[in-house]
Amino acid sequence: MNSKRLWILIVGELSRLNKYGVFSISILVAFIWGVVLFLISDSVLGTFLPFVLFIDATMMSVMYIGAEMHFEKTESTISTMLVTPVSNAEMVLSKVLGNTIHNLISSLLIVAAFYIAGQLDFINELGFSLILVILGIVLSTATFTILGLVLSYYHKDFTDLLVSMFVIIFVLMIPAVLLMFGVIKGDFWETFMLVNPMQAVLEVIQGGFYNAAGELDLDYRYFLSLGYILVGGIVLYFFWAIPKFQDYAVRQSGV
Amino acid sequence: MFKVEDLRYKYPKNPSDVINGISFEIAKGEIFGFLGPSGAGKSTTQKIMIKILEDFRGTISYNGKDIREYGDDFYEDIGVSFEMPIHFSKMTAMENIEFFLKLYKRNADVEKLMRRVGLWEHKDMMVGEFSKGMKIRLNIVRALLNEPHMLFLDEPTNGLDPTNAQILKDMIREFREAGGTVFITSHIMADIDQLCDRVAFIVEGEIKEVDSPRNLKIKYGKRTMTLEYKENGETVREEFPMDGIGQNETFLNLLQTKEIETLHSGETTLEDIFIRVTGVQLRDEQ
Ligand SMILES: Nc1ncnc2c1ncn2[C@@H]1O[C@H](COP(=O)(O)OP(=O)(O)OP(=O)(O)O)[C@@H](O)[C@H]1O
Ligand SMILES: [Mg+2]
Repeated sequence: MNSKRLWILIVGELSRLNKYGVFSISILVAFIWGVVLFLISDSVLGTFLPFVLFIDATMMSVMYIGAEMHFEKTESTISTMLVTPVSNAEMVLSKVLGNTIHNLISSLLIVAAFYIAGQLDFINELGFSLILVILGIVLSTATFTILGLVLSYYHKDFTDLLVSMFVIIFVLMIPAVLLMFGVIKGDFWETFMLVNPMQAVLEVIQGGFYNAAGELDLDYRYFLSLGYILVGGIVLYFFWAIPKFQDYAVRQSGV
Repeated sequence: MFKVEDLRYKYPKNPSDVINGISFEIAKGEIFGFLGPSGAGKSTTQKIMIKILEDFRGTISYNGKDIREYGDDFYEDIGVSFEMPIHFSKMTAMENIEFFLKLYKRNADVEKLMRRVGLWEHKDMMVGEFSKGMKIRLNIVRALLNEPHMLFLDEPTNGLDPTNAQILKDMIREFREAGGTVFITSHIMADIDQLCDRVAFIVEGEIKEVDSPRNLKIKYGKRTMTLEYKENGETVREEFPMDGIGQNETFLNLLQTKEIETLHSGETTLEDIFIRVTGVQLRDEQ
């Protein structure tokens, strides 16, 4: 791993996300959330902001990386990357980090939109621990980006990927949402449901928010989820994203 | 410099091999042409030689070392131009080039290269707005960015107008003069006929002949002279054997007495030879 080259690749990824209009989409999304928030009542911050950040870290991560891989595919640029001294690991890592940085920015834009829409009062109370929220977003985004990468290896095109993604996310999100709104209750379910990575992400992001008493409330479920996302991401990265990359790239360069 | 021995390759999804035991050697400082019809296996061979396709059988060595033993630093040494455009379309030509340039240790003089292929004036244009020929020319610049010792060019003249094709050929020659080695594929024989030091004919994954174009012409060319002259308002055509042409009375007599229209030696084109050797007609699709 050559860190100078990795840095060049990450900067390249980010500048491409910008050139290909993905950044503009993030800004638009944040803006839309701002408008939505402005229109609804102001008592929902506790549930609504974590939920939006959760969508951003999961669904949007997969979508952004899927879109990026799609652009590369249509332009055969992966072929030319294969004949540079860049290693596959550097290429994959730069995509993961590039997408994570982008998604962090987009999440922070959403937080800013909440603020501007008057839902957050930064001066008096933040409502959450910025450090923990950032930690949660970064870890979740990285893991879901790796998941998105692996998914795009197995899909012919972007629409194909979108369809699979929606099916997977929809199925995984239902129990998460049911729990969130208290339809499913109980200690057992709340812990058991953490095998669902979406649930784990929600847990990790909500963990960064203060409870009614204005304190952080981190129980074993929080740490379990954090560990799960971290280990899951690492396993996916080393045992899937990297080893399957060459195959994928070669298929892209095919006739 | 490059040695390929009994190379065989099967694409994972295909039932049978597309490369069927080919062997050849490329000497340092040589322009080696790889000629064959569409689907013969030219691009596949190139992709194996540049370590993109991995599960091949046989051995390939570069500078005496098995290419499988090289790491990613192999790519500091070689330059590759693919059949299709390989650039980010929503970035300018220069943004593309600068991005790739930074990934290498050695950096070529980009302005000089871009001027040479006539793209310097268009350097700030989005590659997406480039014509096909411009994209191909940018591919060439891309291939030369790292001052490679060896170039791999897959159908580089395909889609270039005659002027640009000529510029490209001059660049390839200069590259060789400077000590570089070139592997170049084409399905249009005439395109690289005079360029190559040696050519290999490949058909259905097999090499049918490897030699210099000159030797091939001597070996397979017809040694005759064809004369066309006017007689009673009509063109008459006659063929004479090349051997002893200076003593051939009929031939000399015609030269002296007739109004000569054309006089050709029986130079066979590489394309004719290809057809003769392989029995396969080349189709020029583009
Ligand atoms: N990715 C692939 N998967 C399966 N088969 C392939 C793949 N790429 C090429 N082939 C097959 O391998 C054979 C050789 O293809 P190749 O692209 O090497 O030919 P080529 O000589 O470069 O032809 P052209 O002049 O059209 O570029 C063809 O029969 C082709 O169908
Ligand atoms: Mg080809």
